[in-house]
Amino acid sequence: MEVTRVYHFSAAHQLQQPALSADANAALYGPCAGLHGHNYYVEVTVSGTPDPVTGMAVDLGAIDSGVQRALLAEVDHRRLEAVPALAGVVTTGEGLARAFWKVVAPVVAPAALARVTVVETAKNRFEYRGEDQ
Amino acid sequence: MSDVAYSTRRFTFAAGHRYWVERWPEAENRRVFGSLTVPHGHNYTLDVTVRGPIDETTGMVIDLSELKRIVNDAVVDRFDHADLNADPLFRDRVPTTENIAVVVWGLLAPKLGVDRLWQVRVWEDPTLFVDYGGA
Repeated sequence: MEVTRVYHFSAAHQLQQPALSADANAALYGPCAGLHGHNYYVEVTVSGTPDPVTGMAVDLGAIDSGVQRALLAEVDHRRLEAVPALAGVVTTGEGLARAFWKVVAPVVAPAALARVTVVETAKNRFEYRGEDQ
Repeated sequence: MSDVAYSTRRFTFAAGHRYWVERWPEAENRRVFGSLTVPHGHNYTLDVTVRGPIDETTGMVIDLSELKRIVNDAVVDRFDHADLNADPLFRDRVPTTENIAVVVWGLLAPKLGVDRLWQVRVWEDPTLFVDYGGA
């Protein structure tokens, strides 16, 4: 089974590909090229099997404190481009989901991370499952 | 050959519970479960997903009114405004969100068939949900 915890943070960001000129970034990313922000939701999903005695598949308290310390404290009320763990990341929803996976996977251990979902707005949702092609 | 789709209907029920292992002393229960040992309750949300071929006559995977009747009879009527710890299904099973998902699956699988029942998602509150698809 999969257990999902939903977390929240607010942050500023802008989509900028450093290899491109300002005009090219504006053309590529449109309004997202300028500094703006979102009320983000991050869904952290781990897989496991309920313990036959406690009925718990994962230690939610440990996951909460790990995600708070390693991720939320780093990004909440920050400019995402200035966050050390996001150095070099174009902060699209996809880019954030992939970068957050790297941050979250070690702190939810021994639980196995199944996916990280970044909800940028009520209309935009991005999932990363640690897959490549 | 028919095209397959997934239909999900949402249900809600309010229930009370506490985390408690009968054969443990009180101190051990408190150490492991903390404040969850105190009886409390939640507004649970249940998303039931059925997978199947789209019937080319009706255009449906399942008649959602049939799904509604089955889930209400088997799950919602049983657990809404109930003490989960008092239900025989939780006699030897702590009513965690994980175990509620397993129990709901067990109640629905015989009614809907494992070939149709795809997933149950149990939300304890807007910050926590468990997905279970059997086995």
